[in-house]
Amino acid sequence: MSEVASVASGAAAAGPATVYLGMSGGVDSSLSAVLLKEQGYHVVGVYMKNWSRDLPGMKCPWAEDLADAKRVAVRLGIDFEVFDFEKEYKQKVVDYMLDEFKKGNTPNPDIMCNQEIKFKLFYDVARERGADFIATGHYARVGMAAGPATPALLKAVDENKDQTYFLYRISEDALKHTIFPIGDMYKKDVKALAAKKGLDNAYKKESMGVCFVGEVGIKDFLKEYIDEKPGEIRELKTDRVLGAHEGAVFYTLGQRHGLNIGGGLPYYVVKKDIAKNIVYVSRDLNAAELWTDELKLKDVIMRNDDWRNRVGDGCAVPFEVRLHHRAPLIPATFDLDNSVVKFAEKIKAPAAGQSVVFYSGDVCLGGGIVV
Amino acid sequence: MIYLDHAAATPVDKKALLSMMPYFADQFFNPSSPYLPANHVRDHYEYAKGQIAHTIGAKGADLVITSGATEATNLAFTAATTAMEHAVAPEILILATEHASVRAAAIATGAKVVEIKVGRTGLINLNDFRRKLTGNTVFVSVALVNNELGTIQPLAEIAEIIRAERARRLSAQNTTPLYFHSDASQALNCLDVNVARLGVDLLTISSAKIGGPKGVGALYVGHGIKLKPLIAGGGQEAGLRSGTENVPGVIGFAVAAVSAKEHTNGNRKKYENLAGILRTELEKAVVSPLFLHDKKHHLSSFVPVSFPGIDAERLIYKLEEQEVYLATGAACAANKGTKSHVLTAAGLSDAEIAGSLRITLGPLNTEDDMRRAGQLIVAAVNEEFERCQK
Repeated sequence: MSEVASVASGAAAAGPATVYLGMSGGVDSSLSAVLLKEQGYHVVGVYMKNWSRDLPGMKCPWAEDLADAKRVAVRLGIDFEVFDFEKEYKQKVVDYMLDEFKKGNTPNPDIMCNQEIKFKLFYDVARERGADFIATGHYARVGMAAGPATPALLKAVDENKDQTYFLYRISEDALKHTIFPIGDMYKKDVKALAAKKGLDNAYKKESMGVCFVGEVGIKDFLKEYIDEKPGEIRELKTDRVLGAHEGAVFYTLGQRHGLNIGGGLPYYVVKKDIAKNIVYVSRDLNAAELWTDELKLKDVIMRNDDWRNRVGDGCAVPFEVRLHHRAPLIPATFDLDNSVVKFAEKIKAPAAGQSVVFYSGDVCLGGGIVV
Repeated sequence: MIYLDHAAATPVDKKALLSMMPYFADQFFNPSSPYLPANHVRDHYEYAKGQIAHTIGAKGADLVITSGATEATNLAFTAATTAMEHAVAPEILILATEHASVRAAAIATGAKVVEIKVGRTGLINLNDFRRKLTGNTVFVSVALVNNELGTIQPLAEIAEIIRAERARRLSAQNTTPLYFHSDASQALNCLDVNVARLGVDLLTISSAKIGGPKGVGALYVGHGIKLKPLIAGGGQEAGLRSGTENVPGVIGFAVAAVSAKEHTNGNRKKYENLAGILRTELEKAVVSPLFLHDKKHHLSSFVPVSFPGIDAERLIYKLEEQEVYLATGAACAANKGTKSHVLTAAGLSDAEIAGSLRITLGPLNTEDDMRRAGQLIVAAVNEEFERCQK
């Protein structure tokens, strides 16, 4: 935030800089609005209306979220707008997710939402409307140590809440013009300060996961769009048929619930044959298929020069990776030519479509998608 | 707190609240049980139902008690479903400003739903009604009082037109039935409501809008009108609404209805006075208020107003901080983020709709409340106006 504050005062000569802040109605973006206003920015709150469906039993809470966001904006006396991104969100996030699942992959729609919607579409529209910066309530920081032309994406101070895993694909241009007002705060302090500032939604339940999926879970959501196709569940070692499934695309590697094969120790999904529509399972948590010491990646994002400095020249330099949001950091090396991450010890293999994100200290170096 | 959203909900009248209490505790019996204490509860229930019926000039047996106005209206539309069996291309006529429950229930019948136009204040266009009332019309639904503008519709005149159409059908040997329903949920506080004078076949009334408890309403059903029950079961309410009777609810509803009936004239005058004070205050805003009510035909407790160019939703959030509670458009419409279909049908511009407040007065409001609320609304409007100038 110290870098941020200096930017604001730097622009003070020509009037305060304008910040378009994405507001979700939750405590993080609400407190962000308060902080930005206190720092002297001209703040415009924006609620991004994303794609949602009103099906019985799975109402997206967007109307209430919008009301909460607007209420905070009004109380602070800042401008407020609604950007309708429903169409684009459907195309770039929902359709992408469905396509990936159809291919047998397990995509991460939140990462796609940040790349395509929040830090692209929202950024573009905000800049067109005269924004000097955009801001969001993410737990992440922008590092200007190497100069404003090459900002680094830094982990949040609160490691437990760090959201850079979801942000590793956002463009450098957007990052240059992004403020994360609460990136240097601990969540408990965010909550306490929000309460002190009288934000009555400070203790609102946090939204978990993707809104449009709703409460019914991903499998039921997918079934609305992807036809069920019954197939066999086989035990990997013996090739014995243990049961039936409704379509291999609905299952994820490592999954052990919803297999409906009862009795004894649980079975884990260890392999999917999408072409033959067979789901392979094993009781053995040490089954070779569940573990690997290398992962091939595609669509690799190399964040600015840090990447080349730290892992470049084809020589493998140790750094750390994260396989899931909030997962522990694991030491790794990267074979640049073949796009392969290598680990000293075997790891539980993430499903194809998941992201592997690279870190060096506080710096998020980028990452790629598991093939 | 200054509460100005009585069209959405009313505080339960103290007398009504007290009258209900025994029926939660000592008199908890199921009215259908065979022993004497239960029989007494049955008597009290039927008596209360009779009292409710009397306030609209009907008998207890003419009412079906429901879980509220929405259910009553849905039940009313089953008459349309029955009537549709006798028509080739059945049509239902509703006013363009009807409540969501009427619109949805009409569509759910599967008949063609035709909307009757309204004027700038929400008053029915009778010529449009005459034009659209054809030999295919089986059902007409027009609310006695609109829930956003407070406009009172000339139901007796509408009934007269319907009677003429029935006579025409009779002489043409057209046996298609034609029923007339009205949603009178908002009306009982300030209006003398009498089913015979209004000329309706079916009338929806509600407890929650007149100082009674929520979760109870009733449908008045005229003689010879065939309904289909929406809820099957033990055959209560003459088979039209199964389920153990909501005894405390009906007792509270009756006390509130009788009280509303007694105070109709007093309430009307009281609200006229309060509304006048409020309007005088609102005139002081930098943005001229546009008063949306019908000068001749409106319920005096409704003060619909618009400050064109101002975002009324922002006003609501500002005013809630001062504990002044009011609405913009209908509460349901506002929550869904869509603009009011009522104000759209009345031909208001987008800016007029966005700047509209629905202020509805109730028994606890005072003259001081009006002055203070008026000043706070004006201050909020002025602040918003200034913010937009920057």
